[in-house]
Amino acid sequence: MTPPHFAFSATFILALTGLVFHRTHLLSALLCLEGMMLSLFVALSLWALQLDITSFLASPLLLLAFSACEASTGLALLAATARTHGSDRLQSLNLLQC
Amino acid sequence: MMTYVSCFFLGGFILSMIAVACNPSPFYGSFGLVAVAGFGCAVVVGSGGTFLALILVMIYVGAMLVVFVYSAALAADRYPESWGSGGVAGQAVGYLLGVMVASGFFWKEEYGVLWGFGGSVEELAPQRGDIGGVSWMYSLGGPLLVISAGALLLTLFVVFEVTRLLHRGAFR
Repeated sequence: MTPPHFAFSATFILALTGLVFHRTHLLSALLCLEGMMLSLFVALSLWALQLDITSFLASPLLLLAFSACEASTGLALLAATARTHGSDRLQSLNLLQC
Repeated sequence: MMTYVSCFFLGGFILSMIAVACNPSPFYGSFGLVAVAGFGCAVVVGSGGTFLALILVMIYVGAMLVVFVYSAALAADRYPESWGSGGVAGQAVGYLLGVMVASGFFWKEEYGVLWGFGGSVEELAPQRGDIGGVSWMYSLGGPLLVISAGALLLTLFVVFEVTRLLHRGAFR
């Protein structure tokens, strides 16, 4: 792996471990998901730019559109849990089952 | 010179992702994600994709992170943990050690000359590669645009359904 490849692979793995191991806030998990999508964006655009495939340069933009979908759904879940449970701490989500 | 600049950008990319992943409070986490987006833009620009980096800045820092920071107000901590507090700093050091071990595992000596990003960076070129790719998306990739616009519209209705708290909503 060349250093840019190592950089985006390392950021993907870092965000994935952050998502897996830390669950105090729901918003922290959503931020780690966004970091994963961001490293995927950099990976796709570097791939298409280094190989000079111009027709695949549209794929990072479409990935960004779908990551906007994912982020908005996650934030809607965050707002709903903050209104029903009072906070977004994941410890309190199984206290008050509704 | 280009070696130092790209080394700085790639290192900052990894370090700011460590700052997101080591579980600080959501205020600091979203600030770290701003830094990740900025360094990612710098990496993409260094490889020649100027328009992609512009789109990334506009969508992330312009739209999405504003929503994230607003939602961080919903999830306010009374005692927020920054990167200086004990558990967060310990996790950050652990992640940093992991990255250093992995980079030592993948390091080869001939990469000393390969710190540049590669790709076609011609200065003052009238037509860069990514401009052509994006115009391809608007001409031949029209069905893909329609599909992603439909996905965004569907997401709008999903958000309406989830956040509605009446007896018909998802959360009762």
